[in-house]
Amino acid sequence: MGQVADSGELIQGTLEMLILKALLRGPLHGYSVAEWIQQTSQQMLKVEEGALYPALHRMELRGLLKSKWGTSDNNRRAKFYELTADGRKRLDAESQRWARLSSAVAFVMQAS
Amino acid sequence: MAQNLHEFLLRLKALFRKRRMEREMADELAFHQAMLQDKLLRQGVAMADLDAETRRSFGSASRWHERLRELWQFGGLENFGRDVSYAMRVLRRSPGFTVVAILTLALGVGANTTVFSIINGLLLRPLAVPESDRLAVLGISQGNPRINYTFSEPLFRSLESRHGVFEQVFAFDHTSLQVKGSGGNENVPGQLVSGEFFPALETAPLLGRTLTPQDDRKGGDPVGYGVVISEGFWQRWFNRTPNVIGQKLTINNVPFTVVGVMPKRFIGADPLERPELYVSMSTEPALNGERSMTADGFHSWWLNVMGRIGPNGTLLKADAQVAAESGAVLHEAIPDAGWIADRQKRHFHFIAENGSGGFTYLRLLFREPLAVVFAMCGGILLLACMNLASLLMARGAARQRELATRLAMGATRRRLVQQLLVESLLIAIMGTTAGLAISPLVGKSLSMVLLGGEIDMQIDTSLDIRVFAFAALASVVATLLVGLVPALQATSGSLNEHIKSGQHTTQAHERRRIMPKIMMAGEIGLALMLVVGAGLLASSLVRLYKSGAGFDPRGVENISFSMDQQPLKGDALMQFYQQLGDGLSRQPGVTSVSFARIVPFTHRIWDQSYSSPGSKDQDINRNAIGPNYFGTMRIPLYEGRDFTWNDTKASGLKLILNKAAAQVLFPDRSALGQTILEKDEKTTLQYEVVGVVGDAKYEELRSPAPPTAYSPMTQDDDADRSRSYNAVVRVNGEAGPLANTARLLGTKLDPGIPAPVMTSMQSVIDDSLSAERTMALLAVFFAVCALVVTAVGLYGTLAYATARRTSEIGIRMALGARRTQVVAMVFLQNARVALVGTGLGLIAALLASRALASFLYGTSVRDPWVFAGSILALAIIASAASLLPALRSARINPMVAIRCE
Repeated sequence: MGQVADSGELIQGTLEMLILKALLRGPLHGYSVAEWIQQTSQQMLKVEEGALYPALHRMELRGLLKSKWGTSDNNRRAKFYELTADGRKRLDAESQRWARLSSAVAFVMQAS
Repeated sequence: MAQNLHEFLLRLKALFRKRRMEREMADELAFHQAMLQDKLLRQGVAMADLDAETRRSFGSASRWHERLRELWQFGGLENFGRDVSYAMRVLRRSPGFTVVAILTLALGVGANTTVFSIINGLLLRPLAVPESDRLAVLGISQGNPRINYTFSEPLFRSLESRHGVFEQVFAFDHTSLQVKGSGGNENVPGQLVSGEFFPALETAPLLGRTLTPQDDRKGGDPVGYGVVISEGFWQRWFNRTPNVIGQKLTINNVPFTVVGVMPKRFIGADPLERPELYVSMSTEPALNGERSMTADGFHSWWLNVMGRIGPNGTLLKADAQVAAESGAVLHEAIPDAGWIADRQKRHFHFIAENGSGGFTYLRLLFREPLAVVFAMCGGILLLACMNLASLLMARGAARQRELATRLAMGATRRRLVQQLLVESLLIAIMGTTAGLAISPLVGKSLSMVLLGGEIDMQIDTSLDIRVFAFAALASVVATLLVGLVPALQATSGSLNEHIKSGQHTTQAHERRRIMPKIMMAGEIGLALMLVVGAGLLASSLVRLYKSGAGFDPRGVENISFSMDQQPLKGDALMQFYQQLGDGLSRQPGVTSVSFARIVPFTHRIWDQSYSSPGSKDQDINRNAIGPNYFGTMRIPLYEGRDFTWNDTKASGLKLILNKAAAQVLFPDRSALGQTILEKDEKTTLQYEVVGVVGDAKYEELRSPAPPTAYSPMTQDDDADRSRSYNAVVRVNGEAGPLANTARLLGTKLDPGIPAPVMTSMQSVIDDSLSAERTMALLAVFFAVCALVVTAVGLYGTLAYATARRTSEIGIRMALGARRTQVVAMVFLQNARVALVGTGLGLIAALLASRALASFLYGTSVRDPWVFAGSILALAIIASAASLLPALRSARINPMVAIRCE
């Protein structure tokens, strides 16, 4: 599972949503996916490798991602993942769900 | 669904490109690590610390690899394959354990499957006829729990005519038929069947037609009596000639015409019979002549009755129907109002029960013994499983380091449990296969012992779907019993502790473990139960044999001559027997010869009401015998004289009583010379008592000798009938050649008589005790197995446990413990368990032995000698098994043991 930097655990499925989001801009290899999530969250979210690769492979098996081997920026052979049509659809659904969920949580927490 | 398909296809692809997938996974992880290292270098981590830092951040690459691999695999199938080959390697590495384990299970599963296949053949297997589940067996209940399954002809004829929910009601009786061939008469197993027998069993003939209700009318079909023959008889007698239909057969001197041939799979409605000839019931008076049971009307009870229930009926409805019809049937069939009233007082009514397996009286005889044997088998299997479980547990303890290491390498607990279960599954499969392989052989000989003298019968013990299902179930249960507990135990507990401990001295948790001890105690208890059961059955059998028959069976041969169908009668018949006796007594080795109508222990009874003048009737067993019967059988003659050939009807009716009969009829005076009356409705016969002899048992060895009266065969009441008598021959030495001599003698005197059958008196006794003997034999066999299995288990677990305490013992000895103390310590570890197990077993045995009460002769279910002996046997076995490891532990060299750490 991914981890929130200090405490608490990402809900199962949240990691998958973040991966989908990371891949929205184009194909990336596993390391960049992790880096992107970490940087974009301003080091708040650190993705553990032990969770990242099983998640990537699981999503590939389910047809949300497809993969091909290419060359990285520093000329190394790397496996690149990209979104499939199913993956895009899933990302849309997940984003909406997340928006609803987080605003609901925010409402509750802001209640006086 | 589409997603599942996608997954399936990808996994399939992965399966075929396994090596490439593996490489790619490794590459992907390596790439990540390389990127991580670049980043760490950029962050200024020193080259020396780079590897350690990467590992800290990335974790175990091999572990992630394993996770990915699992993801791409077909739900455990590949794991399973790998587990199997791993388990094979492990088992091959410890051949001793493997062989013991497989043999133990083979024994357990084999014994269970064998007994089950007999139960299957006798009780469960449906008849090989269409829709056998709609067949019902009819019986008669008379207010006591014992159902009577034989009917008289008039009762059956009345039932046959009422259909109701039944499509057909039919009757059959097995009988031996004499068929005239080129070489004289031959006895052939046959069946008398009613008209609806074949229509109800719905099996098409191979050739010709079956018998119909038309054939079953008095006088038969206008063309003459028809006979249906079996495929085997067609082969043997007619050499499979296709124009067999219409051929003539002379059966019991009555001409028959072959009308049909039944296929081999058809065996009628009795699963144990293999009839070769089927004739209509209506021919019975012609076949049996004066002995006709049909002519005896309601006095003769000889038919088994079954019915086929129609599509709208159920067994319940059928049962209700026949019960409701009981009164009407009685009144229609039976002319004796007093008899009916007497039966109705006892709530005489018919019952219908499930008849899908047909009917055989042996089922009633063997149902309970088989249940007991089956329970013992179950005990053995349970014992075998518990034994293997405790051995595996001990092994698991020894393998803890291996397992902990594998856990640390990234294996999940589930995978380890699965892998350990695969090991026990392999053992179970091999054990079951071995058990199944021996089961048919053992089953065949066991059923032969069970059936004893019934040479015409056979129990079909062949393996069918039910037996296989049973064996499979047994092996699955065995696997779970054997494997699951040890696997869970072995993989439980903290990882670190296991890795650190190894041969460590600080293994308190190890000794506290309760599970193996419970197993061992249970095993000992179970073994004690089996040994007690075997002891009770065996001592009962010994007492039965020792109780004696009242005569000396050793060296006595019975030769039965079937004369019933021969024309010889009256004086001519007696002359035949006298000549036969003379001829036999001249044979080498023969010391004396006599004749008897009824051979003891063949379950035939002939009784009569006798009274002494002025007192009430007594029920006395009878036998008709030739001169010198008592001398031949070595029954003591206390008073009076023996019969001679001169005791003819003209010289006045004579009887010889046994002591019991003399006591019953003349309690206050000597019986010799007294008169005995036999009252009939019309006449009263008077007999003179000419002798008193010793008590000899009559129907069975289990019951004491009944009051018996012997009459001379020369005075048998029906001089106009031809009677069959058995020659009783006392032989000194080899009796084998006598059978042939008897056959030659018989045919020389009368070429028409079939070859006589010779059996020794000892085998008659053995056969009459076949159920008891089989049970005792099996029980003793099982008990010995139980003892061996328990010994192996006790030895094995203690040896493992002790081996793991080597260094602890070393320290104890270094600190001054003496060798005897060490021996005592190790020994007591088992002794305590054995004591608890014995206590439990004793209680269980006391409770369970009651189930044996009905099988025991002259033996209490709490026979103290048997109980004491069993406990002693178990104590010796347990001590021996525990002493070996204890003695070995005393030989530990403290210095070597401690340095081992």
